[in-house]
Amino acid sequence: TPRNATPEIPRRSHAAQKPASVLEEARLRLHVSAVPESLPCREEEFQDIYNFVESKLIDGTGGCMYISGVPGTGKTATVHEVIRCLQQAAESDELPPFQFVEINGMKLTDPHQAYVQILEFLTGQKVTATHAAVLLAKLFSTPGPKRKTTVLIVDELDLLWTRKQNVMYNLFDWPTQKHSKLIILAIANTMDLPERIMMNRVASRLGLTRMSFQPYTYKQLQQIISSRLKGVKAFEEDAIQLVSRKVAALSGDARRCLDICRRATEICEFARQKGAPDMVRMAHVTEAIEEMFSSPHINAIRNASLHEQIFLKAILAEFRRAGVEEATVQQVYQQHVALCRIEGIPSPTVSDTMAVCSRLGACRLLLLEANDKYLHMRVRLNLSQDDVLFALREQ
Amino acid sequence: MSKRRLKESCGVSAECISQVQQLLRERFCHHSSAPDKLFGLEQQYRYLLELLKRTTLQGESNSALLIGPRGSGKSTVLNRALKNLKETKQVKETLLEVHLNGKWSSIAQFHVWFQQFRLLQTNDKVALKEITRQLQLENVVGDKVFGSFAENLAFLLEALRKGDRSSSRPVLFVLDEFDLFVHHKNQTLLYNLLDVSQSAQTPVTVLGLTCRQDILELLEKRVKSRFSHRQIYLLNSFDFKQYMKIFKEKLSLPAEFPDESFAQKWNDNVQHLSEDKAVQDVLQNLFHHTKDLRSLHVLLMLAVSTVTVQQPLLTAAQLQEASRHHRNDSRANIVHGLSVLEICLIIAMKHLNEVYDGAPFNFQMVYNEFQKFIQRKAHSMYNFEKPVVMKAFEHLLQLELVKPLERPCARAQREYLLMRLLLDNKQIMDALQLYPNCPTDVKQWAASSLSWL
Repeated sequence: TPRNATPEIPRRSHAAQKPASVLEEARLRLHVSAVPESLPCREEEFQDIYNFVESKLIDGTGGCMYISGVPGTGKTATVHEVIRCLQQAAESDELPPFQFVEINGMKLTDPHQAYVQILEFLTGQKVTATHAAVLLAKLFSTPGPKRKTTVLIVDELDLLWTRKQNVMYNLFDWPTQKHSKLIILAIANTMDLPERIMMNRVASRLGLTRMSFQPYTYKQLQQIISSRLKGVKAFEEDAIQLVSRKVAALSGDARRCLDICRRATEICEFARQKGAPDMVRMAHVTEAIEEMFSSPHINAIRNASLHEQIFLKAILAEFRRAGVEEATVQQVYQQHVALCRIEGIPSPTVSDTMAVCSRLGACRLLLLEANDKYLHMRVRLNLSQDDVLFALREQ
Repeated sequence: MSKRRLKESCGVSAECISQVQQLLRERFCHHSSAPDKLFGLEQQYRYLLELLKRTTLQGESNSALLIGPRGSGKSTVLNRALKNLKETKQVKETLLEVHLNGKWSSIAQFHVWFQQFRLLQTNDKVALKEITRQLQLENVVGDKVFGSFAENLAFLLEALRKGDRSSSRPVLFVLDEFDLFVHHKNQTLLYNLLDVSQSAQTPVTVLGLTCRQDILELLEKRVKSRFSHRQIYLLNSFDFKQYMKIFKEKLSLPAEFPDESFAQKWNDNVQHLSEDKAVQDVLQNLFHHTKDLRSLHVLLMLAVSTVTVQQPLLTAAQLQEASRHHRNDSRANIVHGLSVLEICLIIAMKHLNEVYDGAPFNFQMVYNEFQKFIQRKAHSMYNFEKPVVMKAFEHLLQLELVKPLERPCARAQREYLLMRLLLDNKQIMDALQLYPNCPTDVKQWAASSLSWL
């Protein structure tokens, strides 16, 4: 990298448009990036983490905490909120001052790069990974009378796994040392990660302070949306409830919920151009949900060409004949010719059938073997036979 | 033929024909050169245009996937939307574009589409360098990107983090062959791009183009959660009537064609063709096989190439001829070029397949079967030595009409390697019908498999 290069995206010459209508305002607030000051429905978790870090800060000791939960349940946002509150408290001298470092396993090209990033945050030095590990070990093991406490957030912890697990081991070993004053908040998706992938000595250093974030229930999701839309009258109550119930039943992912709402405002806006009133209704929300969750296979089959459909029928026929859910192209081809004869269509050549087969394979309606076996290539359906039958019948 | 002689021979000038050829070739070969019309894709186009508009004007971050079978117009719709969008100066100055491709894209697409190089992004490292280069960040000197992979990633993320919604230029990431990006290690690039689109940083829009219907199942859970599940499906959802309309539209000359009278004549002829039963049959046949418009382009291209000064207007016969070329069975063509001995071997294999129900065979079995045929025949004009037959068999092996079950190793003898025939019975019989000067007894032998046992 050239020296002193400043990472920056060019600025825009024209200012961005301000939201002009209620719906646009709502869309802006519903964007996932518009994280509110305080997260609704996560007060308890917030308090727990806050107390944990605060007590360690006051004592001047170190420690670890493991936070787990499925994606989209507000883990990272809550932790960031905790840090923000602590920083405010430290500024007003209620708490001793501390440093705050964050790394994310997914944003590293290699687990060992974690050392480099931590060191750069702490001291501003840029060194290689091995050297950084040595420097960090020295930093945390030697007593420094004026050292501030460091709060380290490790997001996507499972990506830091290496065969020897030395990165994880080091991370969790430092806080146990007397002078390190290091507090680690480790975040990952699976609850049993320490038991599953960590060696005993790593898991034992991680300790037993754990917290798991439950998926949001429909009431919580509803509250999240309503709190974001406070003061903006863009959604019907029932519409919000429908979205939250659907999402809660599927995954409890708040991101999904917000995305659906945002899409619903777009659909509503589009409908408004035709003169409908200015409010997101049930119909809009239903359409958005359909769009995001519906399975595309059925539609893909219905819009396939005639011979592609016959080929699928031939596959079903061959499966029924053989009783096995796998067939070679040659077998299917013979069924295909027979079906064409029944329908009174000129039967295709083998080249054509191979082309049909590979087209269906490219959309992954079929699963195919490597192409070099030609007629002896085995074919399998990538969706259930019932779905194929359903798609082909309704015509 | 010289130009002058051409001119004398017919009323239509050679220049006119070459203009027609050039215009139509451009239309059929460069799918990207902004099409005049979108067929049945208006809804998807509007969705995409709205999305891009919001990104550029309001700085909203988004992510979407364009999903559809090959040749269904994914890139066309995108290019059209971008072209339309960039007509206003304000947008052109605002939007930054980064185009990444999962694999090598052809040279032809290269120049016409964006006058930008698109390289092989086989791993995140290369992709990242390409992003940095296309964004012209400050660690780019000339055309080279400096620093290690880790530094590049940190640099890019830092740059994106510093921006915000209202003041930095929005970035559009187009990931062509999106499904190939999914196979990168840890899906790091996808995670980071989608994560930026879901957080309050530089506004980015991530657009993926793919033909796989099951693409969402390939994403890791945390990547999937960050993707906003906007899926735009492009399915060739037109029927035959619309297909005919597309055919007419594709073949017609535009109003700004220099020789107006010829353009009129040509378009009348196209209209006339579209009502011809023979042409309709040809098109119907193609339509039944595939709705892919690229196949139609290939067919029309073949037909248009035969237009000459002597015959300036397309006829139904030319289209039929083109269709015949287009829909040829490649394996049958190979069979036509074989010698009689090789044909005999194929027939012997076919009989073995019928008798033993598709079980694999070796050379020795085929040779025995062939010997039986010769012994029954009184005059043995095909009585070749075994090495000669072996040679013929190896030729079939080279043409991949026969394929060994497993890789041949040095130890196994060639005569005893297990093989399979890569031809269907129907193919063999059809090819024999067309085989020039096929001996009658061979034909008879081919028709009757069991009587020789």
